[in-house]
Amino acid sequence: MSQWLEQIVERASHSQLNAIKQQALAALKQQRWPNRKTEAWRYTSVSPIEQLELGGQKDSQPQPSDITGLDSLDLLFIDGVLQQSLNNLVLPEGLMLQSLSQLDAQGQAVADDLFGKIKPAHHLFGLVNDLVAKQGLVVDVAPGVQIDKPLRIINLSSQGQESHLRLLVRLGDNARLCVIEQGEGQDPSLNTAFAEYSLGVRAHLEHYRLAMHTHKAIQVGGNHFRLQEKAQLNSTLVAYGSDLSRLDVDIEHAGEHAHAKFNAIYLLGSGETFDLHSCIEHAVPNGTTEENARGIVGDRAKAVFNGRIHIHRHAQKTLAELNNRNLLLSRRGQINTKPELEIYADDVKCAHGATVAEIEEKALYYLLSRGISRSQALIMLNFGFIQELINDMPNAALADWLQEQLKDKFSQMEVK
Amino acid sequence: MLKIQNLHAKVEDKTILKGLSLDIKPGEVHAIMGPNGAGKSTLGYVLSGRDGYEVTDGQVELNGQDLLEQETEERARAGLFLAFQYPVEIPGVSNMEFMKESVNAMREARGQEPLSAAEFLKKAKEACKQVHLPLDFLKRGVNEGFSGGEKKRNEIMQMILLEPTLCILDESDSGLDIDALQVVADGVNSQRSPERSFIVVTHYQRLLDYIKPDFVHILADGKIVKSGDASLALEVEKEGYAWLGEAQEAGA
Amino acid sequence: MSEQIEQALARKYEAGFVSNVESETFAAGLDEEVIRKISAMKNEPQWLLEWRLKAFESWQKMEEPEWAHLHYAKIDYQAISYYSAPKSMKDKPKSLDEVDPELLRTYEKLGIPLYEQQMLAGVAVDAVFDSVSVVTTFREKLEEAGVIFCSISEAVHRFPDLVKKYLGSVVPRSDNYFAALNSAVFTDGSFVYIPKGVRSPMELSTYFRINEQNTGQFERTLIVADEGSYVSYLEGCTAPQRDENQLHAAVVELVALDNAKIKYSTVQNWYPGDENGKGGIYNFVTKRGICHTNAHISWTQVETGSAITWKYPSCILKGDNSVGEFYSVALARGKQQADTGTKMIHLGKNTKSTIISKGISAGDANNAYRGLVQMGPNAEGARNFTQCDSLLIGDQCGAHTFPYIESRNPSAIVEHEATTSKVSDEQMFLCQQRGLDPEKAVSMIVNGFCKEVFKELPMEFAVEAGKLLEISLEGSVG
Repeated sequence: MSQWLEQIVERASHSQLNAIKQQALAALKQQRWPNRKTEAWRYTSVSPIEQLELGGQKDSQPQPSDITGLDSLDLLFIDGVLQQSLNNLVLPEGLMLQSLSQLDAQGQAVADDLFGKIKPAHHLFGLVNDLVAKQGLVVDVAPGVQIDKPLRIINLSSQGQESHLRLLVRLGDNARLCVIEQGEGQDPSLNTAFAEYSLGVRAHLEHYRLAMHTHKAIQVGGNHFRLQEKAQLNSTLVAYGSDLSRLDVDIEHAGEHAHAKFNAIYLLGSGETFDLHSCIEHAVPNGTTEENARGIVGDRAKAVFNGRIHIHRHAQKTLAELNNRNLLLSRRGQINTKPELEIYADDVKCAHGATVAEIEEKALYYLLSRGISRSQALIMLNFGFIQELINDMPNAALADWLQEQLKDKFSQMEVK
Repeated sequence: MLKIQNLHAKVEDKTILKGLSLDIKPGEVHAIMGPNGAGKSTLGYVLSGRDGYEVTDGQVELNGQDLLEQETEERARAGLFLAFQYPVEIPGVSNMEFMKESVNAMREARGQEPLSAAEFLKKAKEACKQVHLPLDFLKRGVNEGFSGGEKKRNEIMQMILLEPTLCILDESDSGLDIDALQVVADGVNSQRSPERSFIVVTHYQRLLDYIKPDFVHILADGKIVKSGDASLALEVEKEGYAWLGEAQEAGA
Repeated sequence: MSEQIEQALARKYEAGFVSNVESETFAAGLDEEVIRKISAMKNEPQWLLEWRLKAFESWQKMEEPEWAHLHYAKIDYQAISYYSAPKSMKDKPKSLDEVDPELLRTYEKLGIPLYEQQMLAGVAVDAVFDSVSVVTTFREKLEEAGVIFCSISEAVHRFPDLVKKYLGSVVPRSDNYFAALNSAVFTDGSFVYIPKGVRSPMELSTYFRINEQNTGQFERTLIVADEGSYVSYLEGCTAPQRDENQLHAAVVELVALDNAKIKYSTVQNWYPGDENGKGGIYNFVTKRGICHTNAHISWTQVETGSAITWKYPSCILKGDNSVGEFYSVALARGKQQADTGTKMIHLGKNTKSTIISKGISAGDANNAYRGLVQMGPNAEGARNFTQCDSLLIGDQCGAHTFPYIESRNPSAIVEHEATTSKVSDEQMFLCQQRGLDPEKAVSMIVNGFCKEVFKELPMEFAVEAGKLLEISLEGSVG
């Protein structure tokens, strides 16, 4: 066990804890600090956490990026602390929004309904977050209410800071919401950010997670969704890598005829590591899932993808597809991918595919034969590889902004 | 304009072109016909500089410049255009983005200012209409999900936009029905001018009913074995290519 | 409809008889003394005894792996006997006429007559019964061509240099828990050496039979194909129907030197246990080959038996332009569990590998494909293609896919695809409407599903494999 985690456990052992935190503490005491033999951390080392030195003076206050044309309701956290008061926010009817640290009875009821109930208990850093997260948001959309304005939750990490953020979102039956979770940081820091989403019958959630931590900013987080009957989830993840950046995504089909779509893009510049573990649980019949993850991996960078689809017994007529494609730009980079199927029902259609490839010679030749320079052609082709998923984002303003960000980052990467 | 002398080329140790010579003057249309495996497609790939096609002997000059010394994209900028027999699909790269890059690369090579997005769009729309493709093709991935005929028309659209000086059409008629063939041929004919030359590679005489060649050459076993005017194509249509074998055997 | 399919799957194990052979069997238990005794029985040189003891030392420090998708009661390694041989084998019969007729009858009943004149032409057989090799046929004919094919115990004495050079060179003695156990206690197995430029004049094969109660079988196979040579090797396995679980932990090492090709085929039909999961073989096998420049190793396996299968025939593609292949059919029904697949380790330039895996799950069985494709930093232009298909029959079984892909070279291309399907009511209806009974229909559909793998098997085995699936799927249909 690392010193960092020992201290957390030690501190918590002397505090007053509610039931869920007590459970987390007990579970944490049973956990082993991951090493290479820990299957969930087979390819990603947690040693950057051990080596991280926190504390010290913050030199400046980070600023959130401005997304042109995105008309959103913004909530800014810096190092896990909410930077505004929610009291004078004018919210649309049917939307409840409360700070996790200041819940009234109604907010507490929602929190009790969700906290630790959707996120599986096996994520080590999820347990840490369970135990120590005091800041965050509780969001509840009343049944039948459609919220048009996206809710953008920005979480910035600054030098030497450790933060733990929790987001709990409940969509009532037939409710509709768009949530953008945006994390940024580059200085030495550590943040865990876990979000739990409950989608009621026929609810519709459009979701984005922008995990744009780079360099020394360590982030470990998760998005966990439970879908009731006929609920629809459309989630997009855009990730960079840092010394250690890891996300666990769990999607559980708890009601029949729900549909989940999950797209992930990861673009890893020099020396960056990103690790995505996704797990789709089809616990009931007639669910559908489409998952597409695409990554470009630059010099000395490391991408890890583990995509599991689990079809439970009796989850007949499930349709689930997972596709993971990767481009490796350098022989000093590495890609580790593992698409998993675990199937216990026979009348299902499941497929997965994974590829690691280089740009097709034919495609390159086609562009060159039209007078486009080799370097430009490589950029177009490599970027085209993730462009398809950018085009697939429902929010055009966000897609445009991300396109610029990704292009910018990509143009700084060295293409062999 | 184009001078090919004694061109030899191989692919993966297999020699395909075995001493091909051809002289094309501005404004001329040359048809190259021949049986399967004669090296017709190879000629286009070698001239445009595809990786893996190695020239082992001979010279090629385009507008007085040594073509074989140049990279694929430099040859394109020098005015050489190849309309592919099987254009590749490139999902994620939009037709529009692709052609804008391409047109501006050509303009830069010619010392012209790049087109603005609006100017380009106007030109692209016109070209699109000219080859009877719906405008939403511009937004789609390059050739992505296009039918065979649509891919061929997309090639001609690019030719119209890029304004090359030498166009090589590699079996642009294969797999087309009569209406699509007419569209392709109209596109090509609209681009004929005293400065622009064409090499029309085809297996059948059919296309030459629509694009009238000045010269017809028969390519067999990597060499031009017979040249003539448009009537030669009709002869081939009647006789097939079987006589080539006899002629060669007799010659050997 | 699915009920009919279920019934069509009722089990029947034809190789389940027990031979009445008097054996000399060690008391159960494992310690250094047992290993010394095995080594002494075989009159082994000192280096081999030391090698075994070092393996045993490592094994004692290792933990039994738990990562496989398998659930079984802990194996009590002290309850197993590590050596059992027919008494009649003690004096090492010189010819078939001296071999106990009961042993010969055993192989005859299994469809493997050991008299050369009765055998399929073109196949030489090494018959291993419990811990010893009974006989190796066609030896003279093979030796004329320079091909060495004998039991590994014999090879230790006759070809000590070859054995010493290559034993443990592909699967080191402490490679993994079961390989270490095997290295400590292996009793017999086959040894093959094909000299430079020689194409083996016949197929070589080994038939493994476990007969005695409470014993484990720990055989070791070593095949060395020298430069430019070729050999096709087949392996078959059966065991009697018993209520206890028996352990089989084998190691197979293949060495394909420059430009050599080894084709290794297995039809594994160990006793799978009864319908309630009682009895059956625990099959924990380490198989691995190394390919030098331009060499080619092809693994083909048809796995229908065993209560537990844990097996990953692998290729280390060390030499440039070398090729590795893995074709597998794994059928698990009843309470069987299989966790099988392959590793393709691409080290050399332009190395190529192909993996075709067909998993069939029926009854309450669980069938997992587990594979690793690794592209090293120097594997310029390397290619892999993997196709994993699962067929589920019934709604109580499981089909799983765990492919690990690790790439460190930008010019390497890896493609992995996996699909799952069922025997559909429509397919069954079509077959029945055309007059086929449900049994025949299922077996036809399953055979079709496996076709890509069966076509890789040598002719003699393809027929056997097809029949084996048919027997497995045969039963009364109401």
